[in-house]
Amino acid sequence: MSTVLAAAAGEMATGEKVVFWILGPIALIGALGMVLARNAVHSALWLVLTMLSLGVFYVMQAGPFIGMVQIIVYTGAIMMLFLFVLMLVGRDASDSLIETLRGQRVAAVALGLGFAGLVCTGVYRALRDTPPAGLEQANENGNVQGIASLLFTKYVFAFEVTSALLITAAVGAMLLAHVERRKEDKRDQAARMRERFAPGNYPGPKAGPGVYATSDSVATPAMLPDGTSADRSISRILPTRELTSSEKTPKGTER
Amino acid sequence: MSDLQLPHINYAALAPMLILFGAACAGILIEAFVPRERRYPVQLGLSLAGVVAAGVAVITQAGTRTITAGGAIAVDGPTVFLQGAILALGLVALLFVGERSLEAGGPFVAQAALIAGSEPDRRQVVRPGATEVYPLMLFAIGGMELFVAANDLLTMFVALEVFSLPLYLMCALARRRRLLSQEAALKYFLLGSYSSGFFLFGIALIYGFAGRVDFAGIHAAALGSDRSNALLYGGLALLSIGLLFKAAAAPFHVWTPDVYQGAPTPVTGFMAACTKVAAFGALLRVLYVAFDRVSWDYRPVLGVVAILTMLVGAVFAVTQTDLKRLLAYSSIANAGYLLVGVLAMSKDGLSSSMFYLVAYGFTVLAAFGTLTLVRDADGEANHLSRWAGLGRRSPVFAAAFTFLLLAFAGIPLTSGFTSKFAVFAAALDDGQTWLVVAGVITSMVLAFPYLRVVVMMWLSEPAESTPTVSIPGVLTSTGLAIGVAATLVLGLVPAPLLDLSTKAAEFVR
Repeated sequence: MSTVLAAAAGEMATGEKVVFWILGPIALIGALGMVLARNAVHSALWLVLTMLSLGVFYVMQAGPFIGMVQIIVYTGAIMMLFLFVLMLVGRDASDSLIETLRGQRVAAVALGLGFAGLVCTGVYRALRDTPPAGLEQANENGNVQGIASLLFTKYVFAFEVTSALLITAAVGAMLLAHVERRKEDKRDQAARMRERFAPGNYPGPKAGPGVYATSDSVATPAMLPDGTSADRSISRILPTRELTSSEKTPKGTER
Repeated sequence: MSDLQLPHINYAALAPMLILFGAACAGILIEAFVPRERRYPVQLGLSLAGVVAAGVAVITQAGTRTITAGGAIAVDGPTVFLQGAILALGLVALLFVGERSLEAGGPFVAQAALIAGSEPDRRQVVRPGATEVYPLMLFAIGGMELFVAANDLLTMFVALEVFSLPLYLMCALARRRRLLSQEAALKYFLLGSYSSGFFLFGIALIYGFAGRVDFAGIHAAALGSDRSNALLYGGLALLSIGLLFKAAAAPFHVWTPDVYQGAPTPVTGFMAACTKVAAFGALLRVLYVAFDRVSWDYRPVLGVVAILTMLVGAVFAVTQTDLKRLLAYSSIANAGYLLVGVLAMSKDGLSSSMFYLVAYGFTVLAAFGTLTLVRDADGEANHLSRWAGLGRRSPVFAAAFTFLLLAFAGIPLTSGFTSKFAVFAAALDDGQTWLVVAGVITSMVLAFPYLRVVVMMWLSEPAESTPTVSIPGVLTSTGLAIGVAATLVLGLVPAPLLDLSTKAAEFVR
């Protein structure tokens, strides 16, 4: 710890350099992989790689607390939860690759690279000859204690207000993802059976829509043994689609 | 850690925010424990009471000049003025949000999680809307209060997120045209988080430059730091992107029309009025308190942004056929006029910008409030052609809306005129003639779409399909009356509020 501190205050140590040049490209590859991967699960795993590398960087630069939080909370908890959700929801929903705006992807890549180049050269030139400063004072009483004292003195209000953010996020997730079942919507097995065999309800499976030589549209009703068409075989949502009236009418077969 | 000095916290100065956050948390608990049918009156009453109580707490702070909570919060003239403005505008917005007589169940969907257009979704059309919007509104207003009071960039960032997140959510809750509303929310969320990223990146660069993130520290470091100025300018540029995005200034305005159109109309009004106050309040503090020493460097850049904003807003407003989009582009143009006031970089610039924010906020709230009244069987009829001949059918309504449009156009005897006059005068005093010229030209362009609506309403024959103007309930009529009255009063006798804003126009550092 103390060697890291001393190193960070002045010249970069060889070990730090080696680690940086190994993990830096890996972090970059992870970031690119996250953007380019077609599969959402792969994207998430690439992101995990980047986050782990960043966590090591933080530890190396005398910020053990943020490094550990990065690994335990972000990589360990949040990303794994994210992966679980992706897998539960189903990972086959791949992105649509159709560009709705012509040339958008090329323009985005060009502008992104331009912006990255601009910021990188700017920051590099600005910090080239600047010695790192203030690390020793910040870590004087230990890194965790230093962060704790900042959280409870200077940034105590911001820290407290973050709870509002978390409450909002929880409420938002409930609001946008949770479907509430009302009491009257809940039916037990007995009620469902009674409903099924109640007079007026046909207890068997519905006839499927017709597939005939002349038509295989789902809007074609099935034919009953007596030759009439069974309107129940057509899905109820069909008529509400925006179809022309000729398309909407049940298509009987020529007999 | 025996040397840990806990900061002194001036609870009276923080009271407005604490009251709002407390009321919001109580609202969440109400969602959990109060039976469904009683939630609406309880929530509405609680949020109105919360906002009023916070308003009282703000008024008691008049004249306070202090930095508290470990240097994170600055309570000074502009803070108190803008917090009061946000609360007053938020109260009116709450009235529109709480309206339930125009449409069965109010403007919000009962269960946003149901798939739009599905069978259960069609069955929920008549069910009362989600009451979670009230705590969300309170969180948003509380976040805005904090945003204009934040005295360091970190607190400002947290406040930005605290007020943005509820807005993203509320955008997705429209009862009608739900897909449009969800699309709006997603766009706003993605672009908003993107701009927050820029803001954060800017904070990092400025921290690299100054070694601190509080405004006094940045101000001191701007005088002379051993770090390269590239960090300062880069940081300020990225920081401004985050703030100008919220303020809807070009070229960071692209979200505005879609989001304003898709969001439930009361929420649109809330965003147009209160978000603008919060964003410009923070922009004023950042530019006037932290970066005033480099104003010579950023003024030309922000001047170009202002002119671009005015041009984009005015020119695109001409081509719109949807009234919500028309008002969205008009709000973009107004962000440009506000930037003119901000860039005056003087006490007059500060006070006139604050006056403009209040005047514009009331007018735009009333304008979006009137949009909620014109309805047909499918909900609000916002297409311009549907408004043809409304003046013949409902003269009182059309007269009120005409008055609001004239205020937007900056015709004398309305608050639009006095506020534009104040900002332009401040900019002229400071030698920013080029901005004023651009402002006057774009105002003339912008008058055209407003007058087209007026002509449409009064001089066209009502068609068969002309929608009806609903009779507003108590809440909406109160809100509309406040908005129209404020537009009129601030146009006729602007002096009291101008005096107040001039008196308040001094930041504490």
